[in-house]
Amino acid sequence: MRTNDVLRLAQPPLRRFAPGMLLGLASAICAVALLATAAYLIARAAEQPPILYLGLAMVGVRAFALGRAGFRYADRLASHDAAFRTLADLRVGVYERLVPLAPDGLAGTRRGDLLSRLVGDIDELQNLPLRVVSPLVVSGSVAVLSVATVAIILPAAGLALAVSLLAAFALGTGVQTRISGRAERSLAPLRGEFADGVLDVLASLDVLIAYGAIDSRLADVEQADHRLTAAVTRRAVGVGATSAVTLFLAGGASIVALMLGVPALAADTLNGPALAVIVLVPLAVFEIVGMVPLALGAWRQVRASAERVASAVPDLVPSEIPAEKSVAGASRTPDTASSKAPLLSLSAVAARWPGAASDALSGLSLSVYPGDRILIEGASGSGKTTLAHVLVRFLEYSGEYRLGGVDVRSIPADDARRVVGLSEQTPYLFDDSIRQNLLFARDSATDSDLDAVLERVGLATWLAQRGGLGAKVGERGALVSGGQAQRLALARALLAEFPVLVLDEPTANVDPELADGLIRDILSAAAGAGGSRAIIVISHTPIPAGLFTQRVRL
Amino acid sequence: MKPLDLRLLRYATAARSFFVTGALLGVVSTASIVAFCFLLSQVIVRAIAGDSPASLAPLLGALAGVIILRSVVSWLLDWTSSRAGAAVKSQLRRRLLAALVDLGPGWLSRRNATGVATVAGNGLDSLDSYFSRYLPQLILTVIATPVIVVVMLAADVPSGISVLLTLPIIPVFMVLIGWATQTVQKKQWDSLQRLSAGFLDVVGGLATLKLFGRQHRQVSRIRTVTDGYRSETMKVLRISFLSGFALELAASLSVALVAVSVGIRLIDGSLGLSVGLFVLLLAPEAFLPLRGVGTQFHNAAEGVAASEHVFEILAEAERMPVAGFRTAGTVSITSSSTVSTTAPSVGPTELHRVGLLSFESVGVEYEGVTAVSGFTGTFASGDLTVITGPSGAGKSSLIAAMLGFAAHSGRIALDGATAPSAGAAGDWVAWTGQKPGLVSGTVLANVTLGSGYPDRMLAGRSLALASAQEIDLDLELGVAGSGLSGGQAQRVGIARAVYRSLERGCAVVVLDEPTSALDQATESRVIEGLRELAGTGRIVIVVSHRPGVIDSADVRFTLEASSGVVL
Repeated sequence: MRTNDVLRLAQPPLRRFAPGMLLGLASAICAVALLATAAYLIARAAEQPPILYLGLAMVGVRAFALGRAGFRYADRLASHDAAFRTLADLRVGVYERLVPLAPDGLAGTRRGDLLSRLVGDIDELQNLPLRVVSPLVVSGSVAVLSVATVAIILPAAGLALAVSLLAAFALGTGVQTRISGRAERSLAPLRGEFADGVLDVLASLDVLIAYGAIDSRLADVEQADHRLTAAVTRRAVGVGATSAVTLFLAGGASIVALMLGVPALAADTLNGPALAVIVLVPLAVFEIVGMVPLALGAWRQVRASAERVASAVPDLVPSEIPAEKSVAGASRTPDTASSKAPLLSLSAVAARWPGAASDALSGLSLSVYPGDRILIEGASGSGKTTLAHVLVRFLEYSGEYRLGGVDVRSIPADDARRVVGLSEQTPYLFDDSIRQNLLFARDSATDSDLDAVLERVGLATWLAQRGGLGAKVGERGALVSGGQAQRLALARALLAEFPVLVLDEPTANVDPELADGLIRDILSAAAGAGGSRAIIVISHTPIPAGLFTQRVRL
Repeated sequence: MKPLDLRLLRYATAARSFFVTGALLGVVSTASIVAFCFLLSQVIVRAIAGDSPASLAPLLGALAGVIILRSVVSWLLDWTSSRAGAAVKSQLRRRLLAALVDLGPGWLSRRNATGVATVAGNGLDSLDSYFSRYLPQLILTVIATPVIVVVMLAADVPSGISVLLTLPIIPVFMVLIGWATQTVQKKQWDSLQRLSAGFLDVVGGLATLKLFGRQHRQVSRIRTVTDGYRSETMKVLRISFLSGFALELAASLSVALVAVSVGIRLIDGSLGLSVGLFVLLLAPEAFLPLRGVGTQFHNAAEGVAASEHVFEILAEAERMPVAGFRTAGTVSITSSSTVSTTAPSVGPTELHRVGLLSFESVGVEYEGVTAVSGFTGTFASGDLTVITGPSGAGKSSLIAAMLGFAAHSGRIALDGATAPSAGAAGDWVAWTGQKPGLVSGTVLANVTLGSGYPDRMLAGRSLALASAQEIDLDLELGVAGSGLSGGQAQRVGIARAVYRSLERGCAVVVLDEPTSALDQATESRVIEGLRELAGTGRIVIVVSHRPGVIDSADVRFTLEASSGVVL
């Protein structure tokens, strides 16, 4: 994904964006008009005209006062609402690009990073309309309108205001870019370094204390903290400098207006009330133009986030990841029930992980028939998980892979996954109830179906203890132990009734006395489905060999 | 939300000095604002009265001087407050980490470590805008607003009164809106966390969703969750923006009121233009800091909510009695420069031989729940002893008791003498836990963790004993030891315990489920290494439920779930 594509997703369409922006512009115009009208009113009143002459100005100041506050409130509500509505499009837009890549095309991102990238950065992007585009458009328009108004009264003063506004823009942003641009760019890695250090200490607190290494680790974290704090402090100089420059130029613009206006007054080309207006208008305009440096600061952060989002989502799907193709015509799920061909067959299959230099799995041939129970064994790194990911089309392969006699490349990956299911090594549980975590595998399942399947994986007692199917599993399954999560994942896989079920290390976190029973349960569950389901178990831990029809060593 | 949380002053000294500097700058800033408005109105009035440009020059010069002063003071205030924000965050984070270390691994294991890490890291970042935007305005509100009102009263009583009448509306509104915002915000913090986590949950579980063919349906779930997020947030914003509206309305209305009343009195000649213009310029300045407080209010509330989590943990650490596992006299956590100093001379140390490690009716309780009770048993040097039993039987709790991570009843003794609490000072036990607990750095740094003088040769030998000789000592690991497979990380963890035992002559080596991620062949090589280690006269204790390990034990303890012991 290119950065510009990300930014385009973040900017609301005009019809959604315009109301807030126009309301903001109205409020800003009211603010300048309030001070200008008040200045005119007072200076004109000092000339003691009949009060009738000032009626309009008196109504004006009150109306502008109300308008400024009212429009601003409406603007903030409208533009925040628009930004949040766009956030939904943005999230969906990024999500849809993540889908074909997940999970193996998204690896290479460290855990903490992926989290902050996809939530923090995407949410940061809603600042694009809110804190970048809208303030820039509003302050730009107000600046132009004010310069035009002052120029009509006294052209030279208008020119001076324009020059000082441009100077404020150039100096303010120049100062900020030079001083803080660098600091801001260096902040993200420093933040990451610090957060990593904290995570390291907290995740290994027991080890660090037991080994007496906690103090040196804390000292390292403190160093990272110092570097981060120093960078933040450097940035502070820039923020302060920018608003100081703006304040200085606002005063300067008033002084220049005075220096131009006083001779004009003496020459009678300008009257008193007009002088008050051209001297005071700069103060109000600069208050609004003061948003520009903030907007540019926000722009740098938004752009950095957009760049990170863009880099998290590669433009091209790596060749190791199967391309999601939409196959024309009807879904071609292999007819595994009536086909004479093996349910699943591999011939000289090899595969590698994205970016890897060599194959993690090579030269594997395997035929799986209905009712087969196959054990895949092998040491760590022998390609067991690679094989599992090839089977469910997470990874591309070379060689031949057929389902029910059909080349899997000729069918959509989704259809292949309807035939081959996988219970992952580290199952993911959603922050929801046990029921919801099972139901998405088969949404027509009744509660008694769910109870039955939980019984089958040995979770009946646990379920009762937890208070039934409505019990929550916690964020990322935090309230469920590793072994229970594995069993829930098994239950989910059983519910989905895949003709071929791959189990990646199902007993890794299960006590051995229970492991055998669990394996027997799984295998008998397969037999229960008319004996036609094939089971492939991947394991490095010993499993009774008699339970299997075939063993493969990688 | 209170305008200012006093705990901030208590826990962060940097906050105190900031308020002193801020108040001084606030006074100078107020003086420059009054001077600016006075001089500007004077120049305009004199010019209209027909003074020559030359005679106005001194006034213009003074005006320029005041403008420069005002800019510099504003800069200093911004700078000071941003710096203070950074310093306070750093102080709070440091105290938080120290408190977490004091609370210990036991406390942490009952909480979500990643969540706590977020609070210590990015959670406090919302204090940035609290300091850089909110507090300066709060200081100016306390100093500038009253001074300007008094000056206005002195210059023109009716204008002063009209501002005085408008101003009290603001505190009333602030209290009402603040109260409403707080209630909504409190409710919203949790639901926002949930809703923002909702998207993450979908992304995190994407692989699982694909496996079940559900990934395409999630688009509507993301929309629902995000729309919920929007409507929840808008609920808060409608109220919190109301405070901004009230402030802005009060400020602009008072300018309008002053302008109209001054205008009318100018027409009938009861007021001079110089006074009229002066009070007109002052009126918005009285409201400016208050408006700042109002617009930054919800940013500030976010910062306060985040610091609240920190204060809770700090208070919990303060309530705790002196941490049990950190033996008195170990280095202080808060001092920055101390590095573990108990390192022996280079190379392996002679074994501190212990013949018998004995547990005498040892029991462990966590927050009132018995994990293990009445465990009695002896472990002899030269033996490979395996503790086994179902999950929850208290195997790991026994080890925690031995390490001093958990308070225990009964007695743990070395050759009859009560064993010193291990922890950081313990040189008699080397241990590795169920999670390898690796940290970022090289494999060498991980294996020699806690050693003052890392010994490469010895580290290599330790890796070999853990059957991990193929792992490069110079391989750089990421945070939490990423870059190794589960089995590799586990063996590096074993090597780390072996290294410590060899380097310091620790008599006891304890390994908790050291082979759970290993295949059988590797497991038996690890057991060989442990046998070799036991052969040097060490007491080697392995907690495991793997048959390969259990079968190779010299002595075996089986813990029952009921905590009865079966020999």
